[in-house]
Amino acid sequence: MAAAAAAGRVLQPLLRTFSAQSRQLSAAAHGEPHQAARTWKILSFVVALPAVGVCMLNTYLKMQHHSHEQPEFIAYPHLQIRSKPFPWGDGNHSLFHNSHVNPLPTGYEGGEH
Amino acid sequence: MARQAHAYHMVDPSPWPLTGAVAALLMTSGLAVWFHFNSTVLMTMGLALLLLTMYQWWRDIIREGTFQGHHTPPVQKGLRYGMILFITSEVFFFLGFFWAFYHSSLAPTPELGGCWPPTGIIPLDPFEVPLLNTAVLLASGVTVTWAHHSIMERERKQTIQALTLTILLGFYFTALQAMEYYEAPFTIADGVYGSTFFVATGFHGLHVIIGSTFLAVCLLRQIQYHFTSEHHFGFEAAAWYWHFVDVVWLFLYVSIYWWGS
Repeated sequence: MAAAAAAGRVLQPLLRTFSAQSRQLSAAAHGEPHQAARTWKILSFVVALPAVGVCMLNTYLKMQHHSHEQPEFIAYPHLQIRSKPFPWGDGNHSLFHNSHVNPLPTGYEGGEH
Repeated sequence: MARQAHAYHMVDPSPWPLTGAVAALLMTSGLAVWFHFNSTVLMTMGLALLLLTMYQWWRDIIREGTFQGHHTPPVQKGLRYGMILFITSEVFFFLGFFWAFYHSSLAPTPELGGCWPPTGIIPLDPFEVPLLNTAVLLASGVTVTWAHHSIMERERKQTIQALTLTILLGFYFTALQAMEYYEAPFTIADGVYGSTFFVATGFHGLHVIIGSTFLAVCLLRQIQYHFTSEHHFGFEAAAWYWHFVDVVWLFLYVSIYWWGS
């Protein structure tokens, strides 16, 4: 049992050398796979994250142009459906209810403003 | 001491499949009890049992693979097939919701006003937060690839950096979506538009949370030296899942947010 463990400890570094050698050999064949991590790191910081930044700026600028008017309420029969009450609260408010933009079937809470 | 004369893993008897099945029973019946009898006890018990099952089952797999050496190449191959098949099943899951969306939106009924979006629905602008969300997920696909190559090139610090960045982007997506859900002028109860929108994007959001959690577990494991440059299948599975989540979003974005507006 101890002999097997000792043999394992000797073999491990040998196996690692062989795999490192084969990696270096394939590096010559495939053209520097060692560069891949660096390539994706560069892509992350030069392309991907700046693109997120641009989209953040775009969103922020567009938000400023929004009017904060409450949309007019018309009691369409195909909207604000309550076939069955929601299983929480008073059963009349959706999970992400926002009283400023989500009217109840009877209209906006607190009247229109 | 007995020695196996094959490379496969004969798993020791485990209680977790049974506790998982019991959890599924408690959660489903608990959901019905909640809807009809206004009690969340059964469902909560099911959820607790589910979380315990997942934690202990996956902990055991990590013990068997990383610490006990049971994940030989043939075993790993089987795990790869398993993950691919699972992700395929999830693709079909989402296919159903896309079917529902296209069924309702390609031929809108007179009750909706004969148009899509239906009369009275104010859709979200696809070029505001949804576009940002797209950039966030695509960026996270780049960072997770950076992480993978870093693992293979034994760059420990870079792996940790890249994985952390990926997870942060995942959290950012979730936060943005939660804000969108709150600010949307329509709800799930707004006809078939609301149903298709929130069910499809809702399940996607759940998968983002699951994927982020999977990646976070990988980060903890990476910090604790579980992965080697040659053997890191847990990470690969998490990365595959994450790419799947990204692709589903792209379809959602093009179909529901963009075409559907």
